[in-house]
Amino acid sequence: MGFLTVLKKMRQKEKEMRILLLGLDNAGKTTILKRFNGEPIDTISPTLGFNIKTLEHNGYTLNMWDVGGQKSLRSYWRNYFECTDGLVWVVDSADRMRLESCGQELQVLLQEERLAGATLLVLCNKQDLPGALSSNEIKEDSTPRGYHHTSLAGCRS
Amino acid sequence: MSVVGKQLNPVQSSSAGAVTTSSSSAAGSSSSGGGGVEANGGSGGSSGAAAAGGGASNDAKRPAEPSSVSPDEVLHLTKITDDYLCSANANVFEIDFTRFKIRDLESGAVLFEIAKPPSEQYPDGLSVEETMLAAAEELSLEDTADPNAGRYVRYQFTPAFLNLKTVGATVEFTVGSQPVNNFRMIERHFFRDRLLKTFDFEFGYCIPYSKNTCEHIYEFPNLPPDLVAEMISSPFETRSDSFYFVENRLVMHNKADYAYDGGIIV
Repeated sequence: MGFLTVLKKMRQKEKEMRILLLGLDNAGKTTILKRFNGEPIDTISPTLGFNIKTLEHNGYTLNMWDVGGQKSLRSYWRNYFECTDGLVWVVDSADRMRLESCGQELQVLLQEERLAGATLLVLCNKQDLPGALSSNEIKEDSTPRGYHHTSLAGCRS
Repeated sequence: MSVVGKQLNPVQSSSAGAVTTSSSSAAGSSSSGGGGVEANGGSGGSSGAAAAGGGASNDAKRPAEPSSVSPDEVLHLTKITDDYLCSANANVFEIDFTRFKIRDLESGAVLFEIAKPPSEQYPDGLSVEETMLAAAEELSLEDTADPNAGRYVRYQFTPAFLNLKTVGATVEFTVGSQPVNNFRMIERHFFRDRLLKTFDFEFGYCIPYSKNTCEHIYEFPNLPPDLVAEMISSPFETRSDSFYFVENRLVMHNKADYAYDGGIIV
């Protein structure tokens, strides 16, 4: 009976996935989240907490967490690391001024043991803005050395 | 095809495709001017239970010490509770629901949306510090609110609602000065004594003074046609209990009931 319960719980876990969207404020995390889920993106205000989407399909569950990126909120990010399968780091490709601090924040995150098992995607958002850096240019700056599971992609949300 | 019921407190955002087909009363207890979705402050007691929809059955007796209810217990309930299982003042974390929304994923139409008037919410775009000040100022006001107003929501839909394939249900809530750990929501939907759906979700940690949203996108349960017909002809016998736990302690209990006969001419 005990084994069966454990087994059931494990199988349950396998059917769930948790994606964490992080990045500096104004990177476009909430916009991306809403865009992914077919919601209008014309009235988006700064996130002063989190936005969650949980998607249930055929017994599988995808949980997406978007946590506010303002400086005062970043110290709370660590509360959302547990059980994260995928980390999406969203970059404002046109915000050259903060590209360095953006890279630094990512470096700090990747020291986190609880994120060690997570796959990283760096999403270079706002590719349509004039002056936006390409994902290759951003890679030079912000991709951590020795981090093997990094994928970069450009997008406009 | 119009699908929707009504809006208690119309919100500014456009609810495209949502056609108001019926009018109805809001929460049974006196509305306190809010969106009928807040659940904090005020004196205890469960006097609001009487307001929780017509024709509550009397056989699901619950013990009188409400806050001892565990998540496991509510997951095993076989029907809607008669009473609120905790008093309105069990909400020591000042968790305040500020918006409920239901949308159809296929068409993108917003089918139902109620929100507290923006004046009662912390304005968007403020820093955490500013929000903190605003929150402190509002504390005394909240305490005078009707304790049970807003623990109960009534939804009215047209029959077409039951044909939807995929819907997204959003809640938006604010949190008080204390960080909230292991915040968990368990929602049980019944038609009479038949369990239609259980929703069990762990929010985990909530930042002090934060405003958070959670949208649960799911496929509508496939219900047999005779059950659907019965649900349509039995307004408000489809009901739900929403239980909110913080560290396994019940801090909030809200109720809702549903009708699907909107727009039917008798």
